[in-house]
Amino acid sequence: MKFLDKLREVVEGLTVHGQSTAIMKVKAQIDNLFMLITLGDMLGIPILPPYYSLRLVPYVFPNIQNWKRFMLRERDVTDLVS
Amino acid sequence: MRGLKGLLESNPRLRVFIYAGKGGLGKTTLSAATSIKLSSMGKKTLVFSTDPQASLSDVFEQNVFGKGEVKLAENLYVMEIDADKKINEYVASIKKKIIDMYKLDSLPADVEEYIDSAAAEPAMYESAVYDAMVDVVSEGKYDYYVFDMPPFGHGIRMIAIADVISKWVDKITELRKQAYEYGRVAASLKRQKLTYEDEILQELEYIRGRILKFRDIIMNTETTAFMMVMTPERMTILDTEKALEMFQSLGLRLTGIVVNQVYPPDLAKRSDAPLYLKKKVEEQRKYIAEIAEKFGKYVVAVVPMLNREPKGLDTLRLVAEELWSPSKKLEEYI
Repeated sequence: MKFLDKLREVVEGLTVHGQSTAIMKVKAQIDNLFMLITLGDMLGIPILPPYYSLRLVPYVFPNIQNWKRFMLRERDVTDLVS
Repeated sequence: MRGLKGLLESNPRLRVFIYAGKGGLGKTTLSAATSIKLSSMGKKTLVFSTDPQASLSDVFEQNVFGKGEVKLAENLYVMEIDADKKINEYVASIKKKIIDMYKLDSLPADVEEYIDSAAAEPAMYESAVYDAMVDVVSEGKYDYYVFDMPPFGHGIRMIAIADVISKWVDKITELRKQAYEYGRVAASLKRQKLTYEDEILQELEYIRGRILKFRDIIMNTETTAFMMVMTPERMTILDTEKALEMFQSLGLRLTGIVVNQVYPPDLAKRSDAPLYLKKKVEEQRKYIAEIAEKFGKYVVAVVPMLNREPKGLDTLRLVAEELWSPSKKLEEYI
């Protein structure tokens, strides 16, 4: 079984890895936007009334740290290029 | 003036009565009186205060604050919500849910701080109260609901917000579905499992449902009588004019106006009436004439100023009768 798992990962890496990474990137962007709209008041941008947005907190909880880091980042790596 | 009786006869589907207006005009008294009358006709009636300075306890001379639905008399129930308690319980349940879902010992400081600060927002208070309002109406246990709304601004702005929020939730839901699609494709490529997408969509749907229901309770003129309370004074006339403009911009239709705290004009006609009273009545007649001219078609009832505070069931019954089928015409007050 271990061998099969390894094999699966190798095949995955050769075939769909790039594709899924690209898709995950788009998803991450959409997720960030979603977090901004629902929990924007965490960063001082209130859109949804907190009474209701609190209901979403438990489900997005694992993303909060990453999202805040992403949003509060002063410079992006791509800034260096341009 | 057709009174509440006429209002109900011309629209038998009415289930909800809302009294709005600025503070101190007698919304609570009129709400209480309305509920007493409706319940006396054998209809199960709930009177509900959404005012942060809730005073139904005071009017009914019984402490009902934060005690849920309290039975006052046959068919008459009162509810004065303790919003702070409700918010605390709600916030605690959110925290507990996170801790349980992710098997944590305690919440990270920043998340805890966020939840606590969100709970302290003034908007939170109103939302909690309106949410409770939606709760009781959705439950549908009563024949009639009478709501004592907090002074303008808040309640009305909430309706304006409801539309915006509903549109936002639509957008967010769309966004979430997109994220879900992308996530699903990526996950199937990588054979991972997606977490909580369905729950998030469910929550969004729930939130939208609540907001739309609230708007429906306020705006549906088939089932809701949206009443404004006035007194014969310069300030309330101006306020009401402004409010009517605001309602129009929100697409909210006013059902009727009750003019409250009116001195009986006959008092001033007596020869031994003090000048003080004569002056007061004279001034009121001027303002009632103005009210009749400007809002005449809305005026449902005029409630006279009593010689005592309208408190307790017996005194409120007097108010209720006048409200139900007015003994005089509006012209007789001019």
